[in-house]
Amino acid sequence: MMNSPFWRHYRTLVSQGIQAELADLERLVSPVLFALTTLLLFAFAIGDVEPALRVHIYLAETFLTALFALQINFSRLFEPDRQDRVFDLMRTYPVDHTAWFLAKYTLVLAMGSATLGPTLAFAAFVNQSPSQPLFSWVVVGVAAMALAGLAALGVLLSAMTLKANARQILYPLLYFPLATPVLLAAVQSSQLYLSSGQITADVRAWLGLLLGFDVIYITLGALLFTELVDES
Amino acid sequence: MITAEDRRELYLGAILLAMVVGHWLAAFYYAPVDEHQGEVYRIMFLHVPSAITAFASSAALAVFSVLGLKQRSEGSLALAKATAEVGLLFTVLTLATGSIWGRPTWGTWWTWDARLTTTFLLALLYCGYLLLYAAMPAGPSRIRACAVLGILIFADVPIIYKSVTWWRTLHQPPSMLRAGGSTMEPEILWTLVLGMVILCLYGAWLIRFRSRNIRLADTLEAASFDQLQT
Repeated sequence: MMNSPFWRHYRTLVSQGIQAELADLERLVSPVLFALTTLLLFAFAIGDVEPALRVHIYLAETFLTALFALQINFSRLFEPDRQDRVFDLMRTYPVDHTAWFLAKYTLVLAMGSATLGPTLAFAAFVNQSPSQPLFSWVVVGVAAMALAGLAALGVLLSAMTLKANARQILYPLLYFPLATPVLLAAVQSSQLYLSSGQITADVRAWLGLLLGFDVIYITLGALLFTELVDES
Repeated sequence: MITAEDRRELYLGAILLAMVVGHWLAAFYYAPVDEHQGEVYRIMFLHVPSAITAFASSAALAVFSVLGLKQRSEGSLALAKATAEVGLLFTVLTLATGSIWGRPTWGTWWTWDARLTTTFLLALLYCGYLLLYAAMPAGPSRIRACAVLGILIFADVPIIYKSVTWWRTLHQPPSMLRAGGSTMEPEILWTLVLGMVILCLYGAWLIRFRSRNIRLADTLEAASFDQLQT
């Protein structure tokens, strides 16, 4: 099964994507540096806060910073494919389009994790309080769930705006409103969890919404990406 | 030159506009005063139908987008673009009337309440759709990209509709479609239902009329481009 044409296409495309990313390390490092700088700016702008507000500020800062940094990752996803008209040529090749989507999605998940991990760790470090530990594996899990949905949306929007004029401004204008439900569910569930210290019914409800949007965006991503790149 | 079809369209539009005005008269003179809010509640007869038309526009946008993906025709795209414009118009009207209603009842023109925020989000998404349409060169790529965005916008509408029940908000919970039946008096309920039907029909007419204009503008643009080439 793993040797079917679908999986062969998938592995080749992932390998090609990784090589393209590694050939230009600046592309991988710059979103992380952007995230750390943004966190620093948030820390200066907000200053010292009441302990009761610390959890709220930490989560708002972290998830917003991650959203901005991931947007840089996502919007440049097809940049290597634009050179030498690789994207247009790929559309004419007999490549399974779902495998193409999954390969890009895997690449975005890897790049997004490389941005999200340091952002979560650094934000917890600079906002730490002796009375309330902020770093939690549950929050890491919620962030991973959020990334799963946002990455699918990112791949789709990146392919969608590839031929648009002024795509640098158009991309965030489309990405931020569509990412809002995912961001809201991630922040609300994390905040309720860090406040109570346990996975309550409210936390589960928000996680359900987050999971729902993950399923919607991944399914629509796989289906609509095929339509977007269809040559007919 | 005005053709017979144009004339029929305009007559239909005039009839629907007269029905809208008739509904407003019913809202002022037939529906009774609300015992809690007094006269100010009457803005609901414009606010709620506008909101329903804005949501219905997103469903229509999804339908035209799916058609666009299937048929790959400029006709479906023109209908979808007209729907996004009409959707934006009614979303802005919903926000404006909500804000005017909020001032005397909540004491503020605007608050980051869940329903207000998510409706504002819908307005931004409609704007995003129109920007994407404007930013893409005409052709199959634009048809596909706009169709994909149209479907994505529709996927976000349930969160806007359910936001009042999911968050504890200032906005009142649904009072028509709720377990145990409507809490409204029959006169108010029927005036409101009538308003929804009439405004949805008027929205449908606007979409049809505007899409014909878009097609006409496209044809003129193509013709002038051909003339420049020769």
